[in-house]
Amino acid sequence: MGEKVGEEPRVGVFICHCGTNIAGVIDVEELVRYASKLPGVVVAKDYRFMCSDPGQNLIKESIRNFKLNRVVVAACSPRLHEETFRETVREAGLNPFLFEMANIREHSSWVHMWQPKEATEKAKDLIRMAVAKARDLEPLEVRKVPVKPSCLVIGGGIAGISAALDLADAGFEVHLVERTPSIGGHMAQLDKTFPTMDCSACILTPKMVMVSRHPNIKLHTYSEVVDVDGYVGNFKVKILEKAKYVKDRECTGCGLCADVCPVHVPNEFELGLGARKAIYIPFPQAVPNTYVIDKEKCIECGLCAQVCEAQAIDFNMKDKEVEVEVGTIIVATGYDIFHPYEMQQYGYGKYENVITSLHMERLLSAYGPTGGKVVVPSTGEKPKRIAFIQCVGSRDEHYFPYCSRVCCMYSLKHARQIKEKYPDAETYIFFIDMRTFGKGYEEFYETAAKEYGVKCIRGKVAEIYEDPKTKKLIVRAEETLLGDPIEMEFDLVVLASAVKPSETTDEIQRILKLSKSPDGFLLEAHPKLRPVDTFADGVFLAGMAQGPKDIPDAVSQAKGAAAGAAALMGKGEVEIEPYYAVVNQEICSGCKTCSGICPYGAISYNEEGKAEINSVLCKGCGACAAACPSGAIEPNHFKFKQILDTIIAAFQEEAM
Amino acid sequence: MESSKLIKKFEADFTQEVIDFGSKFFPEVENFRACIQCGTCTGSCPSGRETAWRVRKLIRQVQLGLKEDAIRNDALWNCTTCYTCQERCPRLIPITDIVRSVRNIAVYNGIMLPRHVQVAGLLIKYGHAVPINDETREVRKELGLDETPPTVHAFPDALGEVKKLLEDTGFIRLIEEAGREGSK
Repeated sequence: MGEKVGEEPRVGVFICHCGTNIAGVIDVEELVRYASKLPGVVVAKDYRFMCSDPGQNLIKESIRNFKLNRVVVAACSPRLHEETFRETVREAGLNPFLFEMANIREHSSWVHMWQPKEATEKAKDLIRMAVAKARDLEPLEVRKVPVKPSCLVIGGGIAGISAALDLADAGFEVHLVERTPSIGGHMAQLDKTFPTMDCSACILTPKMVMVSRHPNIKLHTYSEVVDVDGYVGNFKVKILEKAKYVKDRECTGCGLCADVCPVHVPNEFELGLGARKAIYIPFPQAVPNTYVIDKEKCIECGLCAQVCEAQAIDFNMKDKEVEVEVGTIIVATGYDIFHPYEMQQYGYGKYENVITSLHMERLLSAYGPTGGKVVVPSTGEKPKRIAFIQCVGSRDEHYFPYCSRVCCMYSLKHARQIKEKYPDAETYIFFIDMRTFGKGYEEFYETAAKEYGVKCIRGKVAEIYEDPKTKKLIVRAEETLLGDPIEMEFDLVVLASAVKPSETTDEIQRILKLSKSPDGFLLEAHPKLRPVDTFADGVFLAGMAQGPKDIPDAVSQAKGAAAGAAALMGKGEVEIEPYYAVVNQEICSGCKTCSGICPYGAISYNEEGKAEINSVLCKGCGACAAACPSGAIEPNHFKFKQILDTIIAAFQEEAM
Repeated sequence: MESSKLIKKFEADFTQEVIDFGSKFFPEVENFRACIQCGTCTGSCPSGRETAWRVRKLIRQVQLGLKEDAIRNDALWNCTTCYTCQERCPRLIPITDIVRSVRNIAVYNGIMLPRHVQVAGLLIKYGHAVPINDETREVRKELGLDETPPTVHAFPDALGEVKKLLEDTGFIRLIEEAGREGSK
């Protein structure tokens, strides 16, 4: 008990009011009285905001005046201020790990807002437990590891591109990995971008070209990250470069091969609205502008090889695994659009003239399958009446409870674009709530209604029927503002379908050991203060991978992630929490139970067959300690005695 | 012309009444608090195509606490309880179950359609909501069955028991009150 610091524990307890967050519910004075009588406690004090400068000074002065060697702060979650108070303790000359936090806000005052008496009692329990643990705390040393000045960016959409360019411009090496044959992502599929109506390709393609030309960026297209090993600053990444069957250094992108290829395949980039060949680039502005052979569809007739002047075609090419070492990782794996086949009331996939908004983007696009002409699929004619249906799958507990955040704006944009092309067309947007919250968005909404005559109907569409003869669609909904059901006929119905985490998310989550929020998107470390960080040190999030967002938000977040990665790499070294597990070699029997359980691959065995833990890989989760049949493993800061004394304190009715 | 209407207060008691009453019979009734008034229910309602029944409006009245509007609405009885609204509700609100709860509350407040009072009267008198008639007796005979089915029709003592049940459960009083209220 405290023998490591050579003296009896002298604990100081500091209780925070957090304004009224804690003191509005809990009797803080009572806590001070209570805490000061706990064994080992020399002094107990309260303050309105313990995290403020005066609050921290109060702790520092008390450490000096009362010769404290342990500190307990009873305040908010350690997620919020553990770092702050460790620093306070360190500045006062104590080892920062001789500090323990009791979370009496999230764990008591907030959750027991209407039971102040019980909340106060629970806070006492929490403080008693924290003091019990504090008495057993041992000093620990933070270690530093070097950070390689290189970043892996996963995903080549606008978020990945933005992050990659920022880091490359700052002088760091970037490996940009993209699963498809070209970077550009979904933004390359869009026609115009709200609210400024910039042509999407016009603002995106220069960035794509910059990526391909940047000396600091190594582009891995048609590639996937298959394994990541190591830790912050020192990741070893395995990238699978799928065989393109075209030597991209030799390919000039002339396209003669595709001209002669006899195999027609629906083009994924056009969502099946257009065709491509078995040898192809997904779209004209693709980067790299080099061709790929779809080996599943290729009939190996060899015509392409005959016409290729550069002799770039190699049917014997094999998938290749490359390994790169990076210091940081940015995940920008984006989203997929929900194809709402299962929402049978809308007839998607059954009625020809019901399409998704991403189809609409391709119909509007000048380099799309119709050359920018919006047509009714069943007739090829221009539509006269078009319905845009919001919240298809979004805000729906049956599918995706969240708001997709982009549909209101792009549907207004679509309606407006149609009015520009066909001024006599009628456009209706069926919505639940019109969410036009961004800069210039509300003005865009106003203009769509005022200058373009776009009509917005407040009511979620209940069902769609097709007239089998005319293929026209009958849309049923309630005009909720009038309070009556409506039934209207349309030539074309556009479903503003939900966005969902891309299909690669699960795999990347597994490889990088990230967390997901309940909506299925990757979880940030803190929704407000660490919105681009993850719980995996050195791994950052950008774009839709973290949750639905539009292009301005995706780019902002990408720049934030790049700044986070740059800060780590610029400093060149990173501190690692000393919460790793330690093996007592004398007790270890070498049974190897622990290595199978460790989720971080941190355990190996020495020549004597005894377990050894890589302290950098270890996250201190404690799984090995719990599993070890001999009790040979203990994680720092969570030693058996520390945990047991905490539990014993928890069950003490009266601490005295 | 419709008379003008000014809402001056909402009755939180009614909102709670629907939750308390409905929860005795149905799960998750309180979900209506999360209703976003999207209108999927009314848009999906087969009855609403033919009648003045607007199911979304009822949920709104329950949500805000407009008891009189909710229970004194003849259209309340036009719901066929087909459950399409409940099936499609994006907030998983048991809409049809709430309609049934509000109907019950209406009855406890003495509000019933005359035809329902009539049917209930038959149940009290004969022990059957649809008592046997000559036509049915004839059909039964043709099918080789006893003319009178083995129900309270055949057992006058049992009819007495049914009446006692209806008496003890308060059903008879409820119907009598509703009958008086209805004739006002």
